[in-house]
Amino acid sequence: MDQQKGVMVLGEISDGKLATITTELLGIGKKLANELGEDLSALLMGGKARGLAQEAIAYGAEKVYIAEDSLFDDYNSDAYTQFVANLCQKVSPSILLIGHTDIGCDLAPRLNGRLRGGLAMDAMELSIDPSTKLLVSTRPIFGGNAYAKVVSRTVRPQMATVRTKVFPPAERDESRQGQIIPIEEKIDPSAIKVNVIERLKEEVEGVKLEDAEVVVSGGHGIGSAQNFEMLWELARLLGGTVGATRRACDEGWVPATRQVGQSGKVVSPKLYIAVALSGAMSHIVGCLGSKWIVAINKDPEANIFNIAHFGIVADYKEILPPLIAKFKELLSAK
Amino acid sequence: MHTIVCVKQVPDPEIPPAKFKIDPESKKVIPPPGVPPVISVYDERALEAACRLKDKHKGKITVISLGSEKATDVVRHAISMGADDGYVLSDGAFENLDSFATAYVLGKAIEKIGGYDLILCGRQAADWGAGQVGSILAEILGLPVVSLACDVQAEDKKLRVKRILKDGFEVVEAPMPALITVSSEIGLPRLPAGMGLMLARRKQIPIWKAKDIGVDPLELDKSKAHTEITEIFIPKRETQCERITGATPSEAAANLALKIVKLI
Amino acid sequence: MASREVFWNISYGYLVYVLAVIALTIWLFNFYRRYQLWRQGRPDERFQELGKRIGVFFQTTIVDVFAHRKFLRQPFSGIMHLAIFWGFLILLLASAVDAISYYSGYHLKGSLYLWFSLISDLGGFLILAGILMAALRRYLWRPKSLNTFLDDGIILGSIGAIILTGYMVEGLRQAATEIIPHPDWAVWSPGGWVFAKMFIEMGEEALRFWHKFLWWFHSALTLGAILYSGLAFSKLQHIIVSPLNIFFRSLGPVGSPLPIDIEKAEILGVGEIKDFTWKQLLDLDACTNCGRCEDVCPAWETGKPLSPRKLIQDLKGHMIHISSNKGPASENPSPLIGEAPNEAEIWSCTTCAACQEACPVYVEHILKIIDLRRHLVLAQNKMPESAQLMLRNMQMRGHPWAGAQSLRLRGDWTTHLDLKILAEGDQINTLFWVGCTGALVDRNVEVTTAITRVLKEGGVDFGVLGEAETCCGDPARRAGYEFQFQIMAEQNIEMFKHHHIQKIITSCPHCYNILKNEYPKYGGQFKVVHYTQLLWELIQEGRLNLTQEFDSTFTYHDPCYLGRYNGIYQEPRQILKVIPKAKLVEMGRSREKSFCCGGGGGHMWIEEQPGTVKISQRRMEEVLKTGVERVITTCPYCLQMFEENIEHKEALKAEDLIEVVEKAMRPH
Repeated sequence: MDQQKGVMVLGEISDGKLATITTELLGIGKKLANELGEDLSALLMGGKARGLAQEAIAYGAEKVYIAEDSLFDDYNSDAYTQFVANLCQKVSPSILLIGHTDIGCDLAPRLNGRLRGGLAMDAMELSIDPSTKLLVSTRPIFGGNAYAKVVSRTVRPQMATVRTKVFPPAERDESRQGQIIPIEEKIDPSAIKVNVIERLKEEVEGVKLEDAEVVVSGGHGIGSAQNFEMLWELARLLGGTVGATRRACDEGWVPATRQVGQSGKVVSPKLYIAVALSGAMSHIVGCLGSKWIVAINKDPEANIFNIAHFGIVADYKEILPPLIAKFKELLSAK
Repeated sequence: MHTIVCVKQVPDPEIPPAKFKIDPESKKVIPPPGVPPVISVYDERALEAACRLKDKHKGKITVISLGSEKATDVVRHAISMGADDGYVLSDGAFENLDSFATAYVLGKAIEKIGGYDLILCGRQAADWGAGQVGSILAEILGLPVVSLACDVQAEDKKLRVKRILKDGFEVVEAPMPALITVSSEIGLPRLPAGMGLMLARRKQIPIWKAKDIGVDPLELDKSKAHTEITEIFIPKRETQCERITGATPSEAAANLALKIVKLI
Repeated sequence: MASREVFWNISYGYLVYVLAVIALTIWLFNFYRRYQLWRQGRPDERFQELGKRIGVFFQTTIVDVFAHRKFLRQPFSGIMHLAIFWGFLILLLASAVDAISYYSGYHLKGSLYLWFSLISDLGGFLILAGILMAALRRYLWRPKSLNTFLDDGIILGSIGAIILTGYMVEGLRQAATEIIPHPDWAVWSPGGWVFAKMFIEMGEEALRFWHKFLWWFHSALTLGAILYSGLAFSKLQHIIVSPLNIFFRSLGPVGSPLPIDIEKAEILGVGEIKDFTWKQLLDLDACTNCGRCEDVCPAWETGKPLSPRKLIQDLKGHMIHISSNKGPASENPSPLIGEAPNEAEIWSCTTCAACQEACPVYVEHILKIIDLRRHLVLAQNKMPESAQLMLRNMQMRGHPWAGAQSLRLRGDWTTHLDLKILAEGDQINTLFWVGCTGALVDRNVEVTTAITRVLKEGGVDFGVLGEAETCCGDPARRAGYEFQFQIMAEQNIEMFKHHHIQKIITSCPHCYNILKNEYPKYGGQFKVVHYTQLLWELIQEGRLNLTQEFDSTFTYHDPCYLGRYNGIYQEPRQILKVIPKAKLVEMGRSREKSFCCGGGGGHMWIEEQPGTVKISQRRMEEVLKTGVERVITTCPYCLQMFEENIEHKEALKAEDLIEVVEKAMRPH
């Protein structure tokens, strides 16, 4: 275990640039590496890897491993697992950080299975224990009702997946120097058992949920797909978009991609308006990062009022129309 | 077509948040009295996926559950939905296992059952939610794995799986046998129907102990656990909610608008 | 001495009897063929308690058949049918008297004869009046719930023709034998008299000829009608089938489904017409398509696809298609549940029993719908998603309120209350059964706690089960999820027996109905009361004093499961009347005519057809029309439905009776 050293960040490339999550992981990665007195490295995969390697260095990586094979341009579970596992066995990082993204949620558990390390998914806090020098990951359990601190004493690498916007991006410094290390390993084609046939992007109305500044979310109390129209109107008016609880999605009132919560998306807008949702923990964990939370619910005891900053106890059907009208008035005056 | 589904019995997640209690000493969660445990949400979805395949292709569904002896309830629930056989894996040695040990035990039971084309798991357990057992199990059994499925189809000897992505879907093809983890986007699980309820009542559900499935106790050695929980706590939420009121709902709404418009 | 020669110039009159026997034989044969269709159905338990059955039959015959109680709820058509019915009864008796006179030699004479003639003619008038009213309604006014077929025209036309020819025959005889010698007698047969005055110019020969001709023509028409009725299985058959149906009517509680044997059942619910019992198939033929059920159905009134009448007629259509031969397999052109009836209709029903209450021939609609639901849920696993969510929750958590547990747990309502919560091994005589809504939904918990306070004040010793209480099973049973209900019923009965419970007080009429009327079939025999019954007892015994003035106007909404299902209408009203200054205003549709709140049959959770008016909204309109300050009810579903529809709390308040009672007990 003493051979394992260093913090490695599994980088992702999105729209030809370093994904935001990668810059954030490099930030926290640097902090952890400094506390251990070890190096920070990054892994970038795909044809654009070389072009972005210097970016990764600017964000703090001392070493950047690149896998330029165009096979890695699109994520393939078997190919990535094989490559990254082999790299980890060669490089032996002590800590491996992965984004809690489409790629990370699939890759991290598989890597863990292959490398037989220790993994904490969906960590919201990472630190190094000063006495044991172990990575301490804090993650939600029981739908977010509680948190657990997890360590891996006897195995390596210590792995964690982290959602975006949990940590701030690293400081970018153009002048930083680092090593770019191409990895020439060939993937064994017989190891690729699962193939992607097609990808369908969902037609996203307007702003993407994760990037929206304003999210208007509806729960089971909305009652029908038609009633969601009111939320759409409010969202559009405020320049935001619509989210929903798992139950509202189960009912088919909004597509499943609108789900905010533990098994959906985690959002951290400036303003989160929770309409007719009770505030079950598994939903709330998805919006706790919001700057301001407003709740509209006819049940005064609803849990949502425990985390909201402002609340109205009333039937949303009586609140939204005048609310929309007043906003129209105020925003046009602006 | 033979499908094996792994299901877990968990404390009912549907309780008022104020009733959620933990014991920091033993690092355990204390469910409120009188609330019976239920089948984990995602595991039930995995079961639903198995039932849909059985609807189309006939075949057999075997269910296994690692837990206390009370887990026979969730196995019965699975049988009432359409599973054919079920086993509970319960042993003193099976308590407080981490993801690797859990996957190991499940793997041993699956080896004993054998003859499968597909293994289905939920994407994570509704209680501890580590989210890894499926993938580790696939690694142990040397199976191709597909995660976060929202639809599973079988054609010839191949599986066509629709996966949920952050902003859309992707469709992948995998050979059989394989392991698939299932997400809630697959839809509502079916109601345990008439015949199923009757079968479930009568069914004998064997309880397998460590020796019945050939578990090597060394593998379950806690000192060799891959992950260890050092602390559990309930975060304090300190927000004072300002209640906005008005003489009528319209007035309250207007007051709210005035407050909010300054924030965005 | 006033009299007449029966038959007069009709010779070989006895041939009528011969022809009648032939006609009746053919009729019987066809009836037998129809009977074979009914026999295709499964067994039913309608031959037990024969003595009681006969007694009930006579009672029903007097009240509903002779006095036309149910018919007269729709005054115009009620009087119309009353006229035709009594008209025919009179004529039947009159003809019998005539036949007896002829063959016995004892003829009516004098004023007896004259009155007899008048009454006989009156019979004819009643029929004609009825026919005219019927024709007016069916062909001119055309109410929506009336479906008109050729059969209807044939019936009305032929009856009209029969009566008219009857008068004409009488008139011809009078013209020939009576009107000149005894004009004072002739007016005692006014129907004939009118025609006699017209025929008086005809010569004797002509009169004799036409009398004979029309006499035989009249007889032919009548026998022809009997033949037609049998061969075409015309609506006229109701004369025989409807009383038969009334004889076999349910003696038990309203809408109480037959158990399915969990271990041995092969058929789950009704998936094919033959899966119905023979009595359910008999119902289909007893129905005369009168439309009264459709007129009172809350689903139909608010635009849902369900019409009870249409359902029965559609099922009848399916029944007619099955072959009663023992030869090749019956040709089943379409599945039973498909287009008509379709699933949307089947799920629209709230089991309110307004249809059964309105039906003059005692057709049992509700159990057919529940049987169809059983097939959909148990055998095909098909149900609306909102039903699935509720039933899954019943199966997983033992109550229908999916999601409610994230706000409060089952036993939470007892916190801070000084109550006897039964622990394992405890024994108590009286249990207060709270019900799922009363324990889990905030507004209804207020009602539950009020009941405990009032019961204590009245000195009632009772215990509660707290968190150990699970659902009585009613939502599952009404939605067709029979096995889940049975499992729950058996568990509950075991628990009651464990605590040695003798008496159960309920606050919810659905719990009340199922515990009282349906649990006995599973071995649970307890004395079950609804709290309003107990309250009234306590008030009468002086253990509760409602002395505080409550100066307000109330209207009382009769819950379906308390009113129509169990006949409890008086006690809540009596209680309200006792309160000083309380003014009760009745809605137009109250008591047996009460309009459902929309919550029964699983519809507290199963969503109504989108784009239609909500049943609860329709009822709310009626409440608002009374202009009262408070709408009072005694059912948690009704209360929820009203609360949902109250837009501004100031205008109208919805309260449970117990809340009003409590306010009348202490200063408020």
